[in-house]
Amino acid sequence: MFAVAFLARRNLSAHRGRTLLTLLGIVLGVAVVLATQVTNQTTLDSLYEVFDRATGQASLLIVPVNKERQPLNQELLAKAARVKGVEIAAPILQARTLPASEAGSWQIAFSMTGVAAGNFFDLTGIDPELDPQVRVYPLTSGRMPRPAKYEVIVPASYADKKNLRIGDKLELLAKDQPARLEIVGLLADEGVAMINDGAVGFAPLQVVQDLFDRAGELDEISLKVSRQLTENPAMLEAYKQQLATRLGEGVRIVYPAARGQLVGQMLATYQLGLTFFSIIAIFVGAFLIYNAFSMTVVERTREIGMLRAIGLSRRQVMQMVLAEAGLLSLAGSALGLGAGYWLAQVLVRMLVNLTPNSGNIHDVPPAIILQSLAIGIGVTLVAALIPAMQAARITPLEALRARSRSLGRLSPLYWIAGLVLLFIGWLITYRIVWPMEVIYFAGYASLVCYFLGATLTVSLAVNLLEGFTRPLSRRIYGNEGAIGSANIRRALGRTTLTVASLMVALTMIISIQSLAFSFKSDVQDWIDNSLGGDLYVRAALPMRESFAKQLLSVPGVSAITPIRVIDVQVAQGSLAADPESNDQFFFQAIDPASFLQVGNMKFAANQGDPAQNWKRLTQGQAVFVSSSVADRYNLRQGDTVTLLTRRGEKPFYIAAEVVDFTGQSQMFYGAYADLRNLFNAQGVDRFAIAIDPTFSVEGVMQEIKDRFQKSHNISLQSTVAFRNSILDLMNQSFRLFDVLGLIGVIIGGLGVINTLTMNIIERQREIGGLRSLGMTRRQVLKMVLAEALGLGLMGGLYGILVGTMIANVAIIGTNMMIGYDLVYRFTSSPYLISVLIALGAVQLAAISPARRAARLNIVDAIKHE
Amino acid sequence: MPVLAAQSLTKTYRMGEVSVTALDDVDFAVERGEFVAIMGPSGSGKSTLLHLLGGLDFPTSGEVFLNDLPIFKLSDDELTELRRRKVGFIFQFYNLLPTLNAAENVGLPVLIDGQPLRRERARIDDLLTLVGLGDRVDHKPDQLSGGQQQRVAIARAFVNQPEIVLADEPTGNLDSRSSTAILELLRSTCRELGATIVMVTHDPRAASFADRVVFLKDGRIVHTLTNGAGGIPVAEIVDVMTRLEL
Repeated sequence: MFAVAFLARRNLSAHRGRTLLTLLGIVLGVAVVLATQVTNQTTLDSLYEVFDRATGQASLLIVPVNKERQPLNQELLAKAARVKGVEIAAPILQARTLPASEAGSWQIAFSMTGVAAGNFFDLTGIDPELDPQVRVYPLTSGRMPRPAKYEVIVPASYADKKNLRIGDKLELLAKDQPARLEIVGLLADEGVAMINDGAVGFAPLQVVQDLFDRAGELDEISLKVSRQLTENPAMLEAYKQQLATRLGEGVRIVYPAARGQLVGQMLATYQLGLTFFSIIAIFVGAFLIYNAFSMTVVERTREIGMLRAIGLSRRQVMQMVLAEAGLLSLAGSALGLGAGYWLAQVLVRMLVNLTPNSGNIHDVPPAIILQSLAIGIGVTLVAALIPAMQAARITPLEALRARSRSLGRLSPLYWIAGLVLLFIGWLITYRIVWPMEVIYFAGYASLVCYFLGATLTVSLAVNLLEGFTRPLSRRIYGNEGAIGSANIRRALGRTTLTVASLMVALTMIISIQSLAFSFKSDVQDWIDNSLGGDLYVRAALPMRESFAKQLLSVPGVSAITPIRVIDVQVAQGSLAADPESNDQFFFQAIDPASFLQVGNMKFAANQGDPAQNWKRLTQGQAVFVSSSVADRYNLRQGDTVTLLTRRGEKPFYIAAEVVDFTGQSQMFYGAYADLRNLFNAQGVDRFAIAIDPTFSVEGVMQEIKDRFQKSHNISLQSTVAFRNSILDLMNQSFRLFDVLGLIGVIIGGLGVINTLTMNIIERQREIGGLRSLGMTRRQVLKMVLAEALGLGLMGGLYGILVGTMIANVAIIGTNMMIGYDLVYRFTSSPYLISVLIALGAVQLAAISPARRAARLNIVDAIKHE
Repeated sequence: MPVLAAQSLTKTYRMGEVSVTALDDVDFAVERGEFVAIMGPSGSGKSTLLHLLGGLDFPTSGEVFLNDLPIFKLSDDELTELRRRKVGFIFQFYNLLPTLNAAENVGLPVLIDGQPLRRERARIDDLLTLVGLGDRVDHKPDQLSGGQQQRVAIARAFVNQPEIVLADEPTGNLDSRSSTAILELLRSTCRELGATIVMVTHDPRAASFADRVVFLKDGRIVHTLTNGAGGIPVAEIVDVMTRLEL
C-alpha cells in the first residue's frame, strides 16, 4: 500500500496540467451539486422564515376554510380564548393596499410564487396589546399603536425609503377613500418587519376593519398554547383535532409551517429542474474524470508494464490508479465545496427577484456538504474504476513493446449495448406509464440511458461520420487536414470519450434553451390567444363593475371585460385524487359575452365546439378547468366538480379544458353571474380592454389616466408590457439554467484539451516522423486542428441529436409532473450556439495542443518513448 | 543444478490465418553466476525466449524452471511475486519512471514489495555507486544521459538480489562508448555480486562480453559459443551470425 500511495502521489505531482484539469472537473461537478442544493435550501428556508416571522410563537393557527368568501367571525376569538390550553388568541386581519401616492404609478409585478413580495403594501390589523406576546415587534423608536386609534407602525427601512418619520401620516388606499394613519413607531429590520419584503404596516384591528369594510371579520387567529402541549407533538396533534371539532365548520386549524409549504410546493418544479441539470453536470464531470484517467493509463502503459514486470501485482496497479483518483477526489471535493458556496451565492442572488429570499445564504446544512462530498468522491472513484481495471489488465510485455498501446479498437458489444440503452430510454419515455411516486427516477433513468446509449454508439458512427468530415477538413486545412481527420478513427476509445463529453455539454445547452423556448412560446401563445385585449386596468382594491361603462366611454375603447379572481375550496371527496390539504384553487370570474369581444380562451385538444362550451359556461354552475388541473385530478369535459360556495357545496359542470398558466394553473374559470350569486362576491380585479385599431394604445392609456387615475386609483398596463414582464420573469428563471449549461461547456472544453494533448503525446514519434519527411510546423498545427474539427463536428452532431431528444424528455417529464400541455418547439439559437461551440470553442481548445505538436523537435520526437 | 532451465519451450502466434512458430521445442539452461548472451537474426525468437524465461509471456507448451520451480504452474499473483523477488529486468528503453529520481527508481522493486525505501537506502546507494552514479542519486531521468539512465536500470535490476537478471538489448539505445561501459558494468556486476545474467542482443561486440553465446534461428538453438579465459572473440561471433543470416 505504501508503494501504491507513493507512486500515486508522485504521478499526480509530476503531471500537474492533467491533474489540474481533472481536479477542475471534480471541483466544478461538486460545486454545481452543492450550489443547486444550497440554492434550493436557501429559497425554502427564506420562505419558511417569512412565515415564521408572521406566526411568531403561535403553535396553531385558526384559518377560514375559504379566506376570501368566508372569513372568520370575530366572535370566534373569544370562543378560542376560552378553550383550555390556549394562553393567547391573537387576531389578524390583512388588507392588501397601496400608499395613495403610489397608486398611479403602481404596476403589478410577479415572482415565481405569484405576485412579487413588496408589490402591494400589507396593512395588518392586530391587537396591539396581545400581539407582542405572540410575535416580536422590534421597535427602534416610538411605540405600539393604541387600540382603535388611527395609528400604524412600519419598518424603519420602509419609512426611510418613503421619507417618512414618526408623526407623519401614511396615506393608504382604503375601501372608500384614502385613509391617513399616523406613524407612531418604527421597527428594526427583523421579525415581523421582514414580512412582504418590508412593505408592511401594523395597525389596530378595529381600524383595519373600519377602513376595509370588514367589521367583525378576521383572517386568522394565532394561538399560543401551553408549553406542555407545544413540547409534545403527539399531544399537540390531538389538541389540534379537538380544537377543530370544538370550533365547528368553516374553520381549519393548521400548523404555522403549513402555509409555507403551500408556497414551497410552487417552487418544487423549479427546484426539480435545477437538480435535474445538476445531475447532467455531474455526468459531464464524470466523463472528464473518466477521460483523464483513461488517458493516464494509456500514457503510462509502458510504465505500468514495467511495474508489472518488476513485480507490481494487478491489484496494486488498480490500487495505484484508484489511489490517484482518491487523492484527487478528496482535494477536488474540498475545493468544490468552496466553489459551490460561491456559486450558490451567485445563484441565490439571481433568484432574489423571483423567490422570497434575501439574497443571502444563512447556513449550509451538514447533510448537503456530506452529500456533495460523497458525490464528488464517489463519482470520481467510479469514473476511475474502468481505467483502473484497464490498467490492471496491462501485461508486463507492454514494457518491452516499442510503441504504446492506444484505445484503438472497441468491441462491437459497445455499440450494440448503446443501441439497446437508447431503446430502453425510448421505452421509459414514450411507452411506459409511470406512477407519480417513481416518475422522477424514471426521468433520471431515461436520461442516463440516452447519454450512455448515445456515447456507446459513437464507435459505430465515427467511421461513417469521418467520411463526411474529411472532405471539409481537406477543404479548410488542405491535405494535412485530411490526415488529421483520419486520425480520429485511430483511437476510437478516446474519440468516443471526447465526442461524448462534448455531446453532454451541448445537450445541456440545447435542452435547457429548447425547454425554455417551448415554455416561453406556450406562455406567449396563451397571452396572445387567451388574454387578448390591448390594455389592462387594475387597482389594488377591487373596482366597481359599473366602472366599465365609464371606461367604455373613452374614445378608442372598443370593448371591455371584467375579471375577478378569488380563492376557492374544492369539497372534500369531489376530486378523484383528493387534493393535498394545502392545494390552493382559484375561481376566475369572467363575463363570457364581453370576454369574447376582447380576448379568447385556448381550449385543449378534443373539446368539441367552442361555441357550445361558451354557451354552457354562460348558463351558470359551469367551469372551464386548466389542463393541469384536469390531468392531475382526472377531470374531463362533462364531469362535475363540487366547490364550496357561500350557499354551501355546489356542483359545477366542466364545460371544457383550457390551456392556462395563471395561478400555478390551479384555476377554474366561471361566469360572473356565479361569482355574484354563489360566492356572493362582486367587484373587478382587472378590466381587459380592446382598443380600436385606428387609435394608439398609448394615446388611449393616457386618456384613461387623465380621466380616472386620481379618482379611481387605477394602474394601467398594456398587454405588450404585461407580456414582456411575464417573459422577463421566465427569462430570469431560466438564466440559472444557462449558468449550469455554461459550466457544462467548460467541463466539455477541458475534455477536448485533454484528448488532443493525449493524442499528441501518444503520437510524438509519429509526428516526428512526419516532420522528418518534410511536414512543416504549420502543417502539423493544421493537422491537429483538423482532428479537432472532426471531433467538434461529431460532438456537435451528437449534441444536437441527443439534446433535441433530452429536450423532448424534459418536456414530457414536465407535462407528466405538473400537468402542462407543453410541446417541443424548435428554436435556432441553441443550435447555432452549439455549432459555434462545436467548431469555434473546440478549435480554440485545440490551439494549445496543436502548438505543442508543432513545436516538437524532430530528433527528440523520433527517439521519444 | 542450473538456476534457470527451459524445457521443450514452444511458442506459436496466430497472425490472421497463418500460424507462426516463434520458438520450437527449445531446451536451454543457465548455471548460477553465468553471463549468457542470446543472439540471432530478426525473427529468430530470441526476445520471445527472454520473455518466457522471465515469465512475462506464456508458452504454447513447455516449461521454465527457476531453481527447479516450474514458473508457469504459478498463479498470476505468485508469478508476479516471483518476478518481483527473483528476477531482475533491464530493458532497451530503460523504462525508468520519469517522476522518480535515480535512487527512487532503483528502489522501486523494494517499494513495490511493501518495504520503506530508507531500510534499503544503503544498498541502493551502494548499487548506484557501483554503476558509477553515486553523485547522481537525486537526479530525475530527464537529467541523465541515455547511458546513465541504463545504469540506473541495471542498479534497479539488482536491488532485490535476484536469482537471475534478464536484459533485453540493454545497449540497443546507446552509443558505443556508453555500450562498452554498460557491458563492462554488467560483467563486473555479474562477477562481484555472483549474479546470473541472460542478455538478448544483436550486437556481436556486446555478446562478446558474455561467458556463453547461444544462437537462435527459426525458433531453435542452432549454435553455442563458450568463453575461453580471454572471452569470446567478436570475429567468431560475427562469423556465426553471418552464416546464420545467409
